[in-house]
Amino acid sequence: MIENTPHPGDTRVDELRQQLRALGYLDAGVNRFLLAPARERRRPLAVALGAGARVGLLAGALLGPAAAIGVGARIPGLVSGVRDAAVLALYLAVLFSVAVGVLASITSLTAASMVRGAGQRFTSRARRVSSAAGWVVAIACLAYLTLWWRTANASFGWSAPIWTTAALILAVMISLLLGHAVRVTTLAVTGAARGGGSLPPSQTRSWPLVFAGAVIAFVGAAALLVVTTSAGTTLDPDRPPLTVASVGQRIRLIAIDGVDTTIYAQLKPSLRHLGSALGDVRAILSAQDTSDPARAWTTIATGVSPERHGVHAIETRRLAGVRGVLTAGGGAIGRVIGGATDMVRLTRPAIASRDERQAKTMWEVAEEAGLRTAVVNWWATWPAPAAGGIVITDRAVLRLERGGALDAEIAPAILYDQLRAEWPAIRDYARATAERAFPATIDTPISDILRRSGELDATIAGIARALPVDSLDFVTVYLPGPDIVQNALLATSDRGAFAPSSAAARIEAIRRYYLFLDGLLAPLLEADEGTVVFVVTQPGRVQPPGDGLFAATSAHGTAERMIDRSAKGTPLDVAPTVLNALGVPLSRELGGRSLGLASPQAARYVMTYGRPSTQPSSRSGQPLDQEMIDRLRSLGYVK
Amino acid sequence: MSALPRFFAAYQRRVTAELERLVPRDQGPVERAMAYTALAPSKEVRAVLVLACAELCRGQVERAVPVAAAIELVHSASLILDDLPSMDDAPLRRGQRANHLEFGEAIAILAAFGLLNLAFGTFARAYEPELASRLTSITSDAVGPGGLIGGQAIDLLATDQQISFETLERIHRGKTGALFVAAATCGALTAGAAAEPIAALTAFAKNLGLAFQIVDDLLDVEGDPALTGKAVREDARKTTFVSFSGVDGARQLAEELCGTADRALAPFGDKADRLRELSAFVISRRS
Repeated sequence: MIENTPHPGDTRVDELRQQLRALGYLDAGVNRFLLAPARERRRPLAVALGAGARVGLLAGALLGPAAAIGVGARIPGLVSGVRDAAVLALYLAVLFSVAVGVLASITSLTAASMVRGAGQRFTSRARRVSSAAGWVVAIACLAYLTLWWRTANASFGWSAPIWTTAALILAVMISLLLGHAVRVTTLAVTGAARGGGSLPPSQTRSWPLVFAGAVIAFVGAAALLVVTTSAGTTLDPDRPPLTVASVGQRIRLIAIDGVDTTIYAQLKPSLRHLGSALGDVRAILSAQDTSDPARAWTTIATGVSPERHGVHAIETRRLAGVRGVLTAGGGAIGRVIGGATDMVRLTRPAIASRDERQAKTMWEVAEEAGLRTAVVNWWATWPAPAAGGIVITDRAVLRLERGGALDAEIAPAILYDQLRAEWPAIRDYARATAERAFPATIDTPISDILRRSGELDATIAGIARALPVDSLDFVTVYLPGPDIVQNALLATSDRGAFAPSSAAARIEAIRRYYLFLDGLLAPLLEADEGTVVFVVTQPGRVQPPGDGLFAATSAHGTAERMIDRSAKGTPLDVAPTVLNALGVPLSRELGGRSLGLASPQAARYVMTYGRPSTQPSSRSGQPLDQEMIDRLRSLGYVK
Repeated sequence: MSALPRFFAAYQRRVTAELERLVPRDQGPVERAMAYTALAPSKEVRAVLVLACAELCRGQVERAVPVAAAIELVHSASLILDDLPSMDDAPLRRGQRANHLEFGEAIAILAAFGLLNLAFGTFARAYEPELASRLTSITSDAVGPGGLIGGQAIDLLATDQQISFETLERIHRGKTGALFVAAATCGALTAGAAAEPIAALTAFAKNLGLAFQIVDDLLDVEGDPALTGKAVREDARKTTFVSFSGVDGARQLAEELCGTADRALAPFGDKADRLRELSAFVISRRS
């Protein structure tokens, strides 16, 4: 008997509601968004392209931000703030919109061709095929997002289960939504391919089934994350607190770029101060695989390889609208993004900065261990962190020249006022020193080069002397002069070789510069009571790359324990040696070893120093990006 | 509220005038039978839907009047066939004796075919060929095996049978929903509307059509023959929405469907208020 009596308060209303939804009612939303092109009688291709474009828009909106997080983690330095992340998300949203839109169109057309000719079984077959297409897309999307999360979560994996769980739930929701969109699109295209008849009714599952499917998808994604994340891939294990009680031993590290070991050997008797500092207690550092100063000196400062520290070249690229930079170290993803953005003229040149550095420098490690530190003019130190000792970045001279508000060129910011007050004296002293050493009398072009380099080195030395050096445990100064001189005087050009007489004059000019530098550095190289002076040199931008020197000197022979004279070292050994001398435990992640005489067993070790601080810098002034590029171009660093 | 919305009156007058112009009355029994049902007093909801959609899409109401009348002719034809003894065998329609009881079965069948042909002829005579072709295509789909005919066929076969909810929906999609959707689409097309507004109006009409049918089922259970103009408890041998959800559940679903229909009008803003009045009337109607 047909049951025709009304059911007061029937509890099946919810079930009927679900069935109505499955039949295309009670839904004024996503289907209409997706299928507006399918409502009119159109060719399958037109329906597929229209609906595919809409699926692409949906995917772009959903995946763009997620991809920006991943790219930001994979390409250090690219994302320097919220604005960068937003711009990058926009770029990636466009990329995903196009890619997913095309894929959705192809998928739906392929599925429609499979259903064609199904005759009376058309509806059921269309449903099955479109469901399969939807599930394939959903599973692929979930696997992709899960693996992306594994790559992006450099600082927390299952060690932060709440974050990871939330991310996976979001990934499941995005995947199910995109899968649903592709299923609906495929259904519409199959309907249109049949000849424009009414669309086959869609059939969705009731919410308990969808929920169960989501739970299964979540468990699958979590399992995938566990399987693909090996125990050793955690990039930032717990970092033990470093605390070092200063024993009164001060360290000064003078870094000189462009020192040729042969010329140095010839001039050694004349180099009173440098000869003394580099004279007896020294090690030869093997050549690096690069002549790029930003890459080479960051390797020395961090004690890890470029692959670990992330600074690959002076010149990087910046995406339009993004403050961060796109380095050469971004791997395949970086190359693809770089190539794509170059093609559409979205990139502009930028200079290597601290933003892309992924390892701590020796002065940062020492500062965190409780020592008082200062660094002057080292590569890739801008922008200076708000808290991290005294940092006179590689842009500080430009800022002091130009004035105006700080853009993280000097830290702490209060030091800027002091240096601004002393700036006229520092500048006048540097200018006078350089003019006295290299008067414009004989060969004006060569003298100009010498004078300019000399003025720059004298300025840096002047700034270093203006710092409260005696109250600091560790001071580091980088001097680029010799490298600038040799590069300007000896770099080959297409116009042919130098005449022997000209080459001799240029070599002689370089010798004169060594002598100038010897006098300039006298105050910094003087190892007074309680101070050990390290000197490290590199051959500069020459081919093939040559060896460097690494030496220590002290007033009472303590330096002899610092460097084993018989040792053959590498640039990676500088940071461990200096840190060991400061009494700071060495990280197992360092690529080199301490060259000190003390046995390795005597050194204390920690697993890691952790990653550099991401604390935002104090940046209120106008960035000197273009000025920095112009300056480096005029000095021959940027072509 | 069960009173017709105010804007109905003007639309109904235009459609009635057009029907009176189109339908022949005094020439013979078939013509009289055609006029008997087509010109009988009715709410003309589908025709009003055509005009409201045309106006909403910034078209001229006058241009949509022929298609509104044609849709109403198709509906009248379906009612004549629906009431035949071989089908629902209904005695009362639009407050008067069923067409076959007044003119006999044979004349009633011919009158139904006459109304259908008049409707399709109206498309061809009133509109330029391209639009006429599209209107004809849409309306013939709504009438054919995927629409009215298909729905009625399943309905007949399901009499005295236990059917699924999906089958019930299929019946009503064909018998009611298809013509509602066709009415909305044709109205928008006469205004030259683009795909987006047509998609929105299709969603509106689809949900409204099913709500209309659920309310019909409710009226069959609770209605007053004096108000509905047809016999009640006629569906006793059939499975209806009320069979599945009960009276309260059916009313709840109908309200939700009307709510969804209203949401589909969101892109139009306040301009769609007339259609919202229409959905409010559908859910509250007593006849």
